[in-house]
Amino acid sequence: MIEVNGLTKVYGAKTAVAGVSFTVRAGQVTGFLGPNGAGKSTTMRMIMGLDRPTSGSVTVNGLPYVRHRAPLREVGALLDAKAVHTSRSAYNHLLAMAATHSIPKSRVHEVIEMTGLEAVARKKAGGFSLGMGQRLGIAAALLGDPQTLILDEPVNGLDPEGVVWVRNLVRYLAAQGRTVFLSSHLMSEMAQTADHLIVIGRGRVIADAPIQDIITGKSQARTKVRTDEPVRLNQLLAGRGASVAHEEQDLLEVTGLDPRTIARTAMDNQIIVYELTPLVASLEEAYMELTKDDVEYHSLPAAEATK
Amino acid sequence: MSSTTTEPMSPREPAPSNSSMSSRSGTQHLPGPTFLRVLNSEVIKFRSLLSTLILLASTAVVMVGFGALSAWGTGQFADAATRDPQAAARMAAQGGDLAVSVPTSGIAFAQLILGSLGVLLMSSEFTTGMARSTFAAVPRRLPAFAAKLVVVMVTSFVVTAVSTWVAGLVAVPILDNYGLQLDPGSSQSVKLLLVNSVYVAAVAAIGMALGTLIRNSAGGIMSLVGIFFVAPIAFQLIPGDFFKEARKYLPGNTVDPLTATEHVPDTLEAWEAALVLGAWVVVPLLLAAVLLKRRDV
Repeated sequence: MIEVNGLTKVYGAKTAVAGVSFTVRAGQVTGFLGPNGAGKSTTMRMIMGLDRPTSGSVTVNGLPYVRHRAPLREVGALLDAKAVHTSRSAYNHLLAMAATHSIPKSRVHEVIEMTGLEAVARKKAGGFSLGMGQRLGIAAALLGDPQTLILDEPVNGLDPEGVVWVRNLVRYLAAQGRTVFLSSHLMSEMAQTADHLIVIGRGRVIADAPIQDIITGKSQARTKVRTDEPVRLNQLLAGRGASVAHEEQDLLEVTGLDPRTIARTAMDNQIIVYELTPLVASLEEAYMELTKDDVEYHSLPAAEATK
Repeated sequence: MSSTTTEPMSPREPAPSNSSMSSRSGTQHLPGPTFLRVLNSEVIKFRSLLSTLILLASTAVVMVGFGALSAWGTGQFADAATRDPQAAARMAAQGGDLAVSVPTSGIAFAQLILGSLGVLLMSSEFTTGMARSTFAAVPRRLPAFAAKLVVVMVTSFVVTAVSTWVAGLVAVPILDNYGLQLDPGSSQSVKLLLVNSVYVAAVAAIGMALGTLIRNSAGGIMSLVGIFFVAPIAFQLIPGDFFKEARKYLPGNTVDPLTATEHVPDTLEAWEAALVLGAWVVVPLLLAAVLLKRRDV
């Protein structure tokens, strides 16, 4: 479990993280979402004790990271695929990391095998592709068999097979009761991987909820309707409180009424409907909606000031 | 989860050890980063870089090469002195036994190479991003710094001492040709070997402190060159008593007082020189340690 409490990081005049508080729970995959520069990586570095918070505190499993007696066995982190000396081989990198915690060589071979690095383990890490670098970073994170995993953009640069592998891996680790905290820019990937989402923007938490709540909560259900009499149906549905967009010649997009009500309205008025498709809101739409709100919230005082 | 394409990479965790999974203090009894383990890690990091090994080998080659060259030059000089009274007078002015300092004649280059190595081992942690891995594994940071310092200083001392010894062995037959005697086992030879090796280890430590403070390879090496090569010359060229006096306190000018058989005017006393060199090592290292602990990685 990761508990972040009022975490703030100020770089000179720029506030990267502004009083962020949240809890990442064990046994589920928690996604960390936000635009570039929102403060995701900074927050993760502060959890790992690499960056010193300007104010606030963060604990992992009850203790600040620095105070754990065997930190690599407590938390595994992939913060930067390039957190490796470019001239050292992947194997020696992992061996040196393992040595600090007396992690046996057999475990080094194990994580190399798990991440599919056998063929390149003896080569210089500097020559690795982005994807291979990610695999090495994940191998390093898994080295101590940690209870908590922090992965910053783990699928960045991975091939499709690697993306599926990471998704399966984190779901498997969470199912074992571990804490998994990962950030990603790939909304579709996040939708398939995370159970819970923390969305930040401009250094603040915008949303902190189960992923389903975020998808359904912010965007209303919509339905695609095709009919021969779009204009008449439009008026009828609008009369029942729906907001209707006349998309094409025969196509309406209805918001605010469920498909059953739409179908009954059409039938009662003898209108033929030949397509009725509930549109599932995507995480991406929910995310855009959320971050749009955030921007509106911030610009409101300025709008009032001009009145 | 185990479709055929992902099967070879599917997670194969070892059987979870019965205690470590969910209890809050599950890892407290498992091995963590003690100093000896961190030292072992730094040794692995040190020997797994080809560039490091090349720098160590270069030091040995330069030391032995300059020892041989210097033996030949000293022999030529002594040879000339037997026929030329002017040269004999110059030789006498140099203080008699020239042969004894032959094995350490490459020390200026050894300090440059191993001092740069000290800079690089630390600055490359930051330029490559390795520091994030290092300090995630050792979040208290200072054990990793101390372990690296031990590795850098011990290696520099040993490489300098061994190559000085070998340079002596190579120089003996060359000097012998000119009728000059060098006994690598004499007390003055041993003193020169030890003082110079300690000195080079000190330079490497200063280099490591610079690498930690500046976090940039070029900047760190330039600062090192500034302190050990530019400053002594600049201080000599600038007129005025202040610079003449200050020059004595540069780290590079502490070796002669430490190895001199008797006190030479306008140099520090041996004990003063030891203190000055010590301060040049301790102050930058303390500053580096404090900043390393406080700054973001």
